[in-house]
Amino acid sequence: MDRDDHDRQPHPREDEHEFGEERESLWRIAFAPTIWAFHFAISYAAVSVYCFKFERMVDMGTLRLGLIAMTVVMLAAIAWIGWRAFRRWDVYDTGEFTNPEGSAEDRHQFLGHAGFLLAVVSFIGVVYDTLPLVILGTCR
Amino acid sequence: MSQNRIPAGDLAAKGVYPPTEEMLNEPVPEEVQAGQRERLAKAWKTPQGWRYWTAVNNSEVGVWYTMTAFAFMLMAGVMALLMRLQLWVPENDLISADMFNQLFTMHGSAMMFLFAVPMFEAISILILPAFLGARDMPFPRLSAYGYWCFLIGGVFVIGSILFSAAPKAGWFMYPPLATIELGIGSDIWLLGLSFIEVASIAAAVELIVGALKCRPPGMRVNVMPLYAWYVLVVGGMILFAFPPLIAGDFLFELERSFDWPFFDHTRGGDPMLWQHLFWIFGHPEVYIIFLPSIAIAAMIVPTVARRPILGYSWIVLSAVGTGFLSFGLWVHHMFTTGLPNISLGFFSAASEAVVIPTGIQLFAFVATLIAGRVVMTLPMLWIAGALAIFTAGGLTGVMVAVAPFDWQVHDTYFIVAHLHYTLFGGMVFPVIAGVYYFFPFFRKKMLSERLGRWAFWLIFTGFNITFLPMHLTGLLGMPRRVYTYPEGLGIDWLNQISTVGSFIVAAGFAVFAWDIVRPKKDQPQIARNPWGGGTLEWSHEIPETKWGVRSIPHITSRYPLWDQPKLVDRMDAGRYYLPDAEEGLRETVVTSVIDARPIQVQRVTGPAYITIMAAGFTGGAFIFPTFHIYTPAIICAAFAVVCILYWLWTSTARPPEKDMKDVGLGLSLPTYAAGPQAVGWWAVWITMLGDATAFASLVFGVFFYWTSNSAFPPPGAEHASGYVVALATAAFALSWALTRGARGLNRAGRVAAARAALALAPLLTLSGMGGFILSVLDLDPTSHVYPAMMWALMVWVVAHGIVGTIMQGYCLAGSLLGKLTPRYDADLWNVTLFWHFLGLTALVTGAMIGLVPRLM
Repeated sequence: MDRDDHDRQPHPREDEHEFGEERESLWRIAFAPTIWAFHFAISYAAVSVYCFKFERMVDMGTLRLGLIAMTVVMLAAIAWIGWRAFRRWDVYDTGEFTNPEGSAEDRHQFLGHAGFLLAVVSFIGVVYDTLPLVILGTCR
Repeated sequence: MSQNRIPAGDLAAKGVYPPTEEMLNEPVPEEVQAGQRERLAKAWKTPQGWRYWTAVNNSEVGVWYTMTAFAFMLMAGVMALLMRLQLWVPENDLISADMFNQLFTMHGSAMMFLFAVPMFEAISILILPAFLGARDMPFPRLSAYGYWCFLIGGVFVIGSILFSAAPKAGWFMYPPLATIELGIGSDIWLLGLSFIEVASIAAAVELIVGALKCRPPGMRVNVMPLYAWYVLVVGGMILFAFPPLIAGDFLFELERSFDWPFFDHTRGGDPMLWQHLFWIFGHPEVYIIFLPSIAIAAMIVPTVARRPILGYSWIVLSAVGTGFLSFGLWVHHMFTTGLPNISLGFFSAASEAVVIPTGIQLFAFVATLIAGRVVMTLPMLWIAGALAIFTAGGLTGVMVAVAPFDWQVHDTYFIVAHLHYTLFGGMVFPVIAGVYYFFPFFRKKMLSERLGRWAFWLIFTGFNITFLPMHLTGLLGMPRRVYTYPEGLGIDWLNQISTVGSFIVAAGFAVFAWDIVRPKKDQPQIARNPWGGGTLEWSHEIPETKWGVRSIPHITSRYPLWDQPKLVDRMDAGRYYLPDAEEGLRETVVTSVIDARPIQVQRVTGPAYITIMAAGFTGGAFIFPTFHIYTPAIICAAFAVVCILYWLWTSTARPPEKDMKDVGLGLSLPTYAAGPQAVGWWAVWITMLGDATAFASLVFGVFFYWTSNSAFPPPGAEHASGYVVALATAAFALSWALTRGARGLNRAGRVAAARAALALAPLLTLSGMGGFILSVLDLDPTSHVYPAMMWALMVWVVAHGIVGTIMQGYCLAGSLLGKLTPRYDADLWNVTLFWHFLGLTALVTGAMIGLVPRLM
């Protein structure tokens, strides 16, 4: 698998600095799904508490609006994480999709790729989980 | 000299890394190799005779584990056959209703808890070290302990059916049926399976640490075998899924034994809490079963396609994504419980979303097969069957995820069909594929091609004959779990077809089982890499050696056997790391989490009786309470603690004979690690994460009662004494501070001060425990769920306080007897980490008992 991007010779120690292990974290790929988890838990908890405790006291509209606003913020956060990860993956510059090699650069880009894909799935997950809030106006 | 002042845990690797090609090309003299092989063989020798059972090596424990789980599976399968016989004709009286209830409860429980989940642990213990070129898992005795717990608990649970004493409320044990059930069936289920959950969590700890810290040098996260990714995800899922069930079991057993009304609505309890806790466990569990099995497919597919997997990152995405999303599905088992529709909507949406990552990995496999040159080997045949069956099960899954459809088919045979399609396709078939594929690895023999094809076609056709009609049986309205049905509902012939099919499946399993156990002495020596695989397990030596890998290689690609042509020869020659066992100790290399830089030589433990004794006493502590006998249970628990302490004291975190060790290729590694560098610290961290999840589930319970119950706490209820709670919490906080302080003092060489802190801390812990007990003593836990919940929180924190006290005492003893010194302080790091969690638990408990109810 020859790639012309290898024509660009990096500085000898460039890799070490930019792709050093200490700058990386496995947790990072879990950020976007974690946002999904929070979105899911908060939506479910808020609606449950509302439906069991406060349904007769207040209208649901405010709660729905609040949760949808939260959704927008969280989607923006996921999109930002996804964009950052996409930059790490760096597929435009390298043309390399799979990063199968045992180099620090490949590992760095792989984590970007995985993080990017997880951001996409989390984004879809958050959108899905917001649909009930958009479609249903009451607890029942 | 100055090096002797650096804490041993802070020493760093010295020398050359990564190795140069020149170093790797240098031959190892024959006589050196022979000496090394001899010393390694001696260190890793399997005990002989009846001492064989003291073995802890993953190759032994893994085989016992796998075969035990398989035996339980066959037993549970026989139960299924009995049920199918009973349903052969309408109004059959072959089996009584009561026995039928026991059979379906035990069939489900055994298949889930004694087969599917343990099988994952078993297979992983057996093969993960080989994928990673490690000598063994980091904690072999923990694996052995887990296995013996599993065996004892499993025999106890499944044996109960022979005495007609088995649980009979269904494998998810819904109260109030299960709480008011007479007899000891429910207790057997609760205590027996809680005991086995201990084994699961032990395995999760072992496997997570194994995948993160025991990879060979150079195996960065982007080149590790996909199986390791799946293990990592599933291990993490176990930590968040099993603890809610353990918390649920804890409440359930308190209700069964002491009449604390957690699930009794007449006294403020709510059976729905059990359903939530059970399914927060139960749904992720489906994926805990599915992911590691499909991980086997991820190892087989590239081999048969003769090319690297397509979409490695995509498969990582789907494993991690499924791991997360699977926690948002649990209420889809509860669509008919009357929860607000909008709540159901969230779970319906997440249930549809999880299809995306699940589908992606299947597409990645299919794409790899299309892009490669497929050799239709026997393992591949089973994988193909798995994909077909699982896809069908997935499609009905999409249907039942839609709440209105689920309302129609809930608790009918449609669900039975759906779940068997997902479990056979997602677990049974890939696991059998794995057995055929890996058998030459772990037994150094081949299974029969002819018998394998017979088994496949019998099980595949039999399965579809059994379960395809069940979709219709269910749509026609036959509920699950009925011991018989009246004539003329149009389901007679469907049931007969299913019964015929079930016996064809059984015939297939008989062929498969025979193939495994039949003598293979006459079989000629097999090829070393019979399938032409590219991953490290196929560097195994033939005939068998017990040391795992001859030397631990430096890995630079995803398929090292394909991409690093000289690798196996160099491994065999002992050219790589740790080719020797000069000290006669079992060792493996510990590496860093992301890039697998070598950082330490880990001494791993060898054969021991103590693990068996510890498991036996742990078993007593769980089994006696089933019969409501508590004194022997407490004695057993005490002995279990003594055994575990002995085991830890004699074989973990001992100061080494020298601080650095030459591991070959010009690299020296520290032999001792403390704090985040040490695998033991990681194990504590992971265990405590699970423990914290269980505690969080209890706290969730308090808020759950508050939302679901209009009177929680009931008006005018007596509260725990606020001052006493505050004092107790403060005592725990101080005890935490002293423990943390002791760590710093000890490191700074102020040993006397550290000892004083460690002597004072347990006294504070004890008084804190006393305070918590005192604070709720006036409340009557049987009167209402509110005082019961306060008592449950108190019991939780006191039980942990006992453990915390023992740990503080252990460190004090270690300091006095020279095991724990300013340089060798791993134990104190681990105990401090435990105390971080315990301090937080006490703070939250204090707030939940003393403060929150007053504000509710």
